[in-house]
Amino acid sequence: MEPIVVAKNLTKSYTKGLRALDNVSLKVNQGKVLVVMGPSGSGKSTLIRTFNGLETFDKGELNILGIKVDSTHDERKIQKIRRRVGMVFQQFNLFPHLSILENITLAPVHVQKRRQIEAEEYGMYLLSQMGIDSHAKKYPSQLSGGEQQRVAIARALALKPELLLFDEPTSALDPERINEVLDAMRRLAEQGMTMVVVTHEIGFAKDVSDQVLFMDSGKVIETSPPNIFFSNAKHERSRKFLNQLDKH
Amino acid sequence: MNSIIVFIKNLKKTLFPNLFNTIITLLITLFISVVCFNTFAWLIFKANWKVVISNLPLYAFGSFPLNEQWRPASWIISLLLLSIFTICGPEWKWLRKNLLILWVGTIPLGLYLLYGGLGLSPIMSRHWGGLTLTILLTVFSSLLSLPFGIVLALCRQSSLPLIQKLSSIYIDVMRAIPLIAVLFFGQLLIPLFLPVGIEIDRVWRAIFAFTLFVSAYIAEDIRGGLQSIPNTQIEAANSIGLNQYQIIQFILIPQALRIALPALTNQSIGLFQNTSLMAILGLVELLGVGRSILANPEFIGQYIEVYVWLACVYWIVCTIMAVLARHLEQRMTINQANF
Repeated sequence: MEPIVVAKNLTKSYTKGLRALDNVSLKVNQGKVLVVMGPSGSGKSTLIRTFNGLETFDKGELNILGIKVDSTHDERKIQKIRRRVGMVFQQFNLFPHLSILENITLAPVHVQKRRQIEAEEYGMYLLSQMGIDSHAKKYPSQLSGGEQQRVAIARALALKPELLLFDEPTSALDPERINEVLDAMRRLAEQGMTMVVVTHEIGFAKDVSDQVLFMDSGKVIETSPPNIFFSNAKHERSRKFLNQLDKH
Repeated sequence: MNSIIVFIKNLKKTLFPNLFNTIITLLITLFISVVCFNTFAWLIFKANWKVVISNLPLYAFGSFPLNEQWRPASWIISLLLLSIFTICGPEWKWLRKNLLILWVGTIPLGLYLLYGGLGLSPIMSRHWGGLTLTILLTVFSSLLSLPFGIVLALCRQSSLPLIQKLSSIYIDVMRAIPLIAVLFFGQLLIPLFLPVGIEIDRVWRAIFAFTLFVSAYIAEDIRGGLQSIPNTQIEAANSIGLNQYQIIQFILIPQALRIALPALTNQSIGLFQNTSLMAILGLVELLGVGRSILANPEFIGQYIEVYVWLACVYWIVCTIMAVLARHLEQRMTINQANF
């Protein structure tokens, strides 16, 4: 079991001394799923965005797939990481001027320099995996939110990543559309994909995750396996949060 | 039948509801019909259209040698045919894909037909004139100022302070100078700055001056487009490993151009009309031809006919440009309704 993500004492503070990340350390092994939970503003998005260099940090050390990054934010290393790490955003962030298939083949063709035909074949395969191959020629605005999010997952998978990051992938979806995206993510986990998922979906966290990491105001409050976290959380703050979630 | 009755009823309601409105309606109708009657009476009976009809080749081609006039003529006709084809041609996919190539191809075609060489007798640019020259100035200036404007817009957004400042200063200065001053600069000062022996001919100096001027405005239009692209697009592009240049090329520029398209259409129609300023600076383009015809003793004093005719020509070309642009816009939005 080699670790895919190792974070050591990550700290990031905004002006006014507000801490977005406060001494965060964690480890994700190959093939494992880490779910990050916490109230809004607790720094969970900031945390996973540091993993592919979308956010910088002030102190600490990060080791992604054996590539070490520190607070100097070395562009070349970050580019290397981004080629091997996929990310799915809350608002899908598809490219509206490109067709679904073009959205997916853009990176393989221009970043990995694969041949167009090859990239399209693999793109169609990914779309069929996501159950949306019939939409390949359409544009993002013609698809529903759930479909767009599945396209975004396919786009992240197109580079054959070794780690997938999900930043609240179902928060912007209609309740009826959430499951189609969660099912796609479940299948990925079953196939052994290493994933870090920021989400409020307790069901998903219970079924799929290997570890649940709970954050509040930039600090890691606790890291537990899901069966312990959801039935018998160690920390008072976690129990309070889970109570709040249950009420909704 | 029913709809006609409804129409008449509505007309009655809106135009003749009471005595006061009826009087106003009648007065306005009287005024409009007198104006129309006088205009048509002038157009048909009083105006002497010989000044237009006998000089048609002059309006179209200027002083281009007579037996070579088929060359600019075929260029203009090819542009016209291509426009008609683009607007109402068949919807074949391969054709639609290649239309862009055809449009770009009209540029070397135009240059070849006008300059000559390679089997055609060479013709100096001072013989170019009329509508041909007007179109040439418009097409070349707008095509050159588009890439220049894109570069300026990107520089203005740059994170390097020097580049950012320089391009802002350039844009601000250009927008603060009247076009006619820039054109004077192009015609009178550029020859002084160039080393002895190097000469750029007048047409290219004009194109150069127009490009300098228009690209500043285009840069601002494109900057507006760039700024309306949400930052999340850049994040998404970063997350799939695209580098800075690829993000500009594949994500930012296409979206910014799409957003700026209506403004860019405006610029090119404005440019087309502004080429008439060159008439003051001695280029015999469409308006210049009109002025030189009016200077001919045979047609002296017939300026109303000439300017009415010129206005019609400008109007027709501008309308074609506007329809083409609307067509392009629809084509770009057809699949991307909620862009």
